[in-house]
Amino acid sequence: MNKKPTSPHIQIYRWNISSLTSIMHRMSGVVLYATMIILCWYIVYYAYQINYIDNPQNRNCECWFTNIFKPFFYVILFALVSALYYHFFNGIRHLLWDIGKGFGINTAKKTGILVIILTILAAIITIVSGFLIRF
Amino acid sequence: MKKIKIAPSTKSGASHWLHQRISAIAMIPLTIWIAFSGIYISQDPFNYISVFFAYPLNAVMAILLIAISLFHGSIGMRVIIEDYVSNKAKKYFYIIFIDLLSIATAIAGILAIIRLHLIG
Repeated sequence: MNKKPTSPHIQIYRWNISSLTSIMHRMSGVVLYATMIILCWYIVYYAYQINYIDNPQNRNCECWFTNIFKPFFYVILFALVSALYYHFFNGIRHLLWDIGKGFGINTAKKTGILVIILTILAAIITIVSGFLIRF
Repeated sequence: MKKIKIAPSTKSGASHWLHQRISAIAMIPLTIWIAFSGIYISQDPFNYISVFFAYPLNAVMAILLIAISLFHGSIGMRVIIEDYVSNKAKKYFYIIFIDLLSIATAIAGILAIIRLHLIG
């Protein structure tokens, strides 16, 4: 029917570090936006309960919401923290591109790999320090 | 040499581009703040949240974080919708929905932070 060549589709496109970091920047941005909306409404829910803290039975909440998410809690937390750090580091990379730095192909590849390594390191350090540090 | 005349954009793309960069720069210190405060609150969430926002710096940073991140996020979502939704009616519906959701969430969240600050 239609014999015209089409542009490379997403399934046969060979992944490289530039396209991977670019699409991951968008995906992490959407995830962070949704997280921010949910977090804000959770703070509203928390703030408008009168004397919530004073009621001892609320401290170890055994509600359906917590029960559903308990097994996945640390997986979700790690994903969200790494989305935050990824968007943070890759955003700095984008800002450096905007002032005209780091445009060479090899430089862009190196900074892309650096962003991924920094993300994993920072996410692990954050989660672990949440367990270890006592104020 | 003939000088190329560039027609200025009649739409709002350029200002969105600039707003996104300015809010991105503003998000750098706020991201560092939320990382440290997240580690701090996670020690004992039920006891710390109420005290945490009583400190003026934390309340101000939280309000700035809510306002700037939702501003940055609504521009980002708008760009994504403009890229992937081709139907014009649907596109404007989604963009207006995202804008209204962001504004409502920002106002409600900031009011909640002020309340926690005052009662904390």
